Amino acid sequence: MNVVIFYVTLILVYFAVDAMACAGLSLEFGVTGVVNFAYIVFQAAGAYTAAVLTLGPASPSGFQQYIGGAHWPFPLPLIAAAVVGALLSLVVAVLGVRRLRTDYLAIVLLVAALIATTVATNQDGLVGGAAGLALVPHPLVALFGNNAAGLSYNVFFAGFSLLLCALCFLIVHRVTDSPFGRRLRALRENEAAAMAQGFSPFRLQASVLMMGGAMAGLSGGVLVEYVTAWAPSGWLYPETFVLFTALIVGGLGNNWGALVGALVVPTGIGEGIQYLPHFGSPTFTVSVQWIVIGLLPLLFLWFRPQGLIPERHRRFAPAGEKKGRQLVQGWLRPRTSSTQIGELSTSKDARP
Amino acid sequence: MNIAIAALGFGIVTAAILSLGAVGFTLQYGVTNVLNLAIAGVMSGAEYVSLEINRHGANIWLTIAVGAVFGAVASYALNRFIYMPFIRRGVRAFAMVIISLAVWTIIQYVVLAIVGPGYSSLRVPVTHTYSLGAIRITGTQISVVLIAIVALLALEATLRFTLFGKAIRATATNAPLARASGVNVGRVIDLTWLISGVFSGIAGVVIAITVSSFSYSTAGDFLVPLIAAAILGGVGRPLGAMVGALIVGVVSEVGAALTNPSYKNVIAFAMLGIVLVVRPSGLFPERVQRKDVVL
Repeated sequence: MNVVIFYVTLILVYFAVDAMACAGLSLEFGVTGVVNFAYIVFQAAGAYTAAVLTLGPASPSGFQQYIGGAHWPFPLPLIAAAVVGALLSLVVAVLGVRRLRTDYLAIVLLVAALIATTVATNQDGLVGGAAGLALVPHPLVALFGNNAAGLSYNVFFAGFSLLLCALCFLIVHRVTDSPFGRRLRALRENEAAAMAQGFSPFRLQASVLMMGGAMAGLSGGVLVEYVTAWAPSGWLYPETFVLFTALIVGGLGNNWGALVGALVVPTGIGEGIQYLPHFGSPTFTVSVQWIVIGLLPLLFLWFRPQGLIPERHRRFAPAGEKKGRQLVQGWLRPRTSSTQIGELSTSKDARP
Repeated sequence: MNIAIAALGFGIVTAAILSLGAVGFTLQYGVTNVLNLAIAGVMSGAEYVSLEINRHGANIWLTIAVGAVFGAVASYALNRFIYMPFIRRGVRAFAMVIISLAVWTIIQYVVLAIVGPGYSSLRVPVTHTYSLGAIRITGTQISVVLIAIVALLALEATLRFTLFGKAIRATATNAPLARASGVNVGRVIDLTWLISGVFSGIAGVVIAITVSSFSYSTAGDFLVPLIAAAILGGVGRPLGAMVGALIVGVVSEVGAALTNPSYKNVIAFAMLGIVLVVRPSGLFPERVQRKDVVL
């Protein structure tokens, strides 16, 4: 019985972490339409920050070498993780989003993710090199008689991470429901029109990237405080693709969709695949997992572009008329004429 | 210093491989505006097809020819059965990046599921090693460079001097206008995917010949330098891609030799990042505005 509860808490923590990441990416990609292919890097940055700030200064003779170690008390490393995620996103926004067309931005961010992995793997003194960081102390474990392996601590941690996850979704909900959120959707639907209304695409995108980056960083921090280790092999760029798949499956541009996507794709497929019978080569199971994750966006964009939970059309009905209940057909695959697609793909060129 | 000069030789060989892939990539991207990351999948497929052919005793030239045919068929099928239907359904232009990434992921792991995680290598006849100062280059490597040069010159001549080449250039510049002038744009696009496939197929086989052993992920390692080369030279310009490949190949090999070998890719990636941020239209910018996904 204890084993079952233990497994359930483990899955809940993973789900909370995935859902936090999906909430941030939903804000960036689902609502605003920024293709952040380096999203996992912000999660990684948050994880390294939280780990290093909990581990304390690296001793010269220790088995792991890293920079910037400190012994910060419990909530501070997580807050720092979110801040680092946000600041890194600001850098990306200033360098990339401002200048590049969407498809080039996607490439640059993909490339940035590759560079980040290579550097983190090969610079031994930076964040522990290829082996990464290990033995990160659990937070608040003293309250449970230093028994981090105990059931009550795991239940506590699952509850704590779900609470943070709920907080993230509350923030995303407040943002998307506000006039600010309307601007973001306007930017996604038609950048030129949004600019004509006097909104600066850069400001909107930069603030959204910072919010999303903070959530990615926080999710990384929570994950590393739970699993106590973090290495470059855990945040290779395809992991970002998993989160994009989650959003496309769940439904772009709505928060319940992001939640359902996180439940189905990273948590559901990631865990469920282990129950497949093993046969063929040892890498067969992992191949199946990635083939499924690759097939899902294709199938959904073809058969159900609006995702499992479609985004609601927000409409301001005149007095007396019933408020809009129309559903959006999935903005990634709208039924528009090709000229409109052309406008969208070239809108950055129109800028001086 | 000797190391840097020796690396120059490797750089030129790398450039030859990259230029084959980059030319296929840039031609197809320039004409159709679909960012085809799955080109690495075509290359990977060509590697393993050539391996199978090679096992049955085919010589290197036959292997390359079969790889080219495989690439053409695979690339055409990719467009005909996956990209084109999605474009017809009105998928937004940049969403094609996600679709091609998905396709690449699927191909990569289908290959892994079939061939397993191990490494394989082609049986290539041992050739004489020529020395030129500190540069050492094998006969095989020289033939790889020659193959690249011949293929690229043939493409450039086709584009420049034939009516078909003219039609390709017209479509790349302005598809609606080309259509209005009587160019069969649909056929041009089909042929562009075929040609691009021939080049990526050759690139895949050439990778298999040059590297001592390859796995399911080897082609993917060439993807980013290849895109870097294509964008450096300006999208849609085969000669530019050739120059871009030369720069990326030489700079990354020499840079890696002078710093840290594991940073070979970082140097290529950083170059791509810098080029995109500083000069998004490449060294030799297009003379025309970007356009829509071409149907």
